[in-house]
Amino acid sequence: MLRESALAYDYNIDLRAIADPSIHLGVPGGNTLLQFIDAMTGASSVSPSDARRAVVDELGPEALVDAAAVFGNFAMMNRIAEGTGIPLAKQAEIREQDLIATLGLDRLKKH
Amino acid sequence: MFAFDGSPVPIRDDLRDAHVAIWRHFARPGQVLDANERRTILKMARNNSYADDDGLGRLASTLYGNPAGVSEDMVRSAIAASGEAAVVETVALASMLAAVDYTHRALGASLEPLPEPLHGEPSGNIATGLKKRRTRVSMPTTSITRALDLLPSENAAYAAACGPLYMTFAEMSSPFFERSSGLNRAQLETIAARTSLLNECFY
Repeated sequence: MLRESALAYDYNIDLRAIADPSIHLGVPGGNTLLQFIDAMTGASSVSPSDARRAVVDELGPEALVDAAAVFGNFAMMNRIAEGTGIPLAKQAEIREQDLIATLGLDRLKKH
Repeated sequence: MFAFDGSPVPIRDDLRDAHVAIWRHFARPGQVLDANERRTILKMARNNSYADDDGLGRLASTLYGNPAGVSEDMVRSAIAASGEAAVVETVALASMLAAVDYTHRALGASLEPLPEPLHGEPSGNIATGLKKRRTRVSMPTTSITRALDLLPSENAAYAAACGPLYMTFAEMSSPFFERSSGLNRAQLETIAARTSLLNECFY
């Protein structure tokens, strides 16, 4: 989804940033959003309030609301996928082999 | 209700309405569980407390707090003890609670008290003719948009929440989707990708 939408906006992105936010993603404000998610999950030393402020300063107050809502939505969707055991489609696994390798996702294949 | 106390920014009306709708859904009797039982599941999820022999409580609590910790055996034993429909209802409740609570936490807002349960019997509205498709529970296809279809009213509540939180299932097909103010599709997907990775969810 990220790759397709970045293409649509003509962003030149580096998907390795999803696994390693020290890499420049190439989406406007993208690394600030990555830092925000990491702060919310305890994956970084940045405080949640500082991360919220950074999103507002760079992208605006509506962006913080959108970011929090999408974070909540994927808290939901990820849990529905885990609980019900949605498998990765074989075709998608073949099609996305390079992405799976780039992000080191093999370890997450459970179903 | 849903004042989002502590948020540094004002909240969109459609987002607030979506959270209120989830809370009203929680308060009603479900398909297998009555409203008191649903509230108990929600409390166990949020408080990470359940009896050792309570398979639904263990599932709700693990799913809410550590989704990657949900195992095939955990789901299978909960189904054996309580039935597939009760498990799907539990997954729906814990997952939608996570949507509301994690949005609040991300905004720095205080969590909303759980809703008071309403009286009434479970509806018993359970879809028939579905089957497992390398999945843990029965569903019509392996699409995330249909994962709760065994219980149509749970899937409808989940689908309704997706629009204001992220985008509707129909909007997901457009790479150019963006709100009038806020983030564009690529920025939304940045959050989706990193969140899913940190949740250790392949999806």
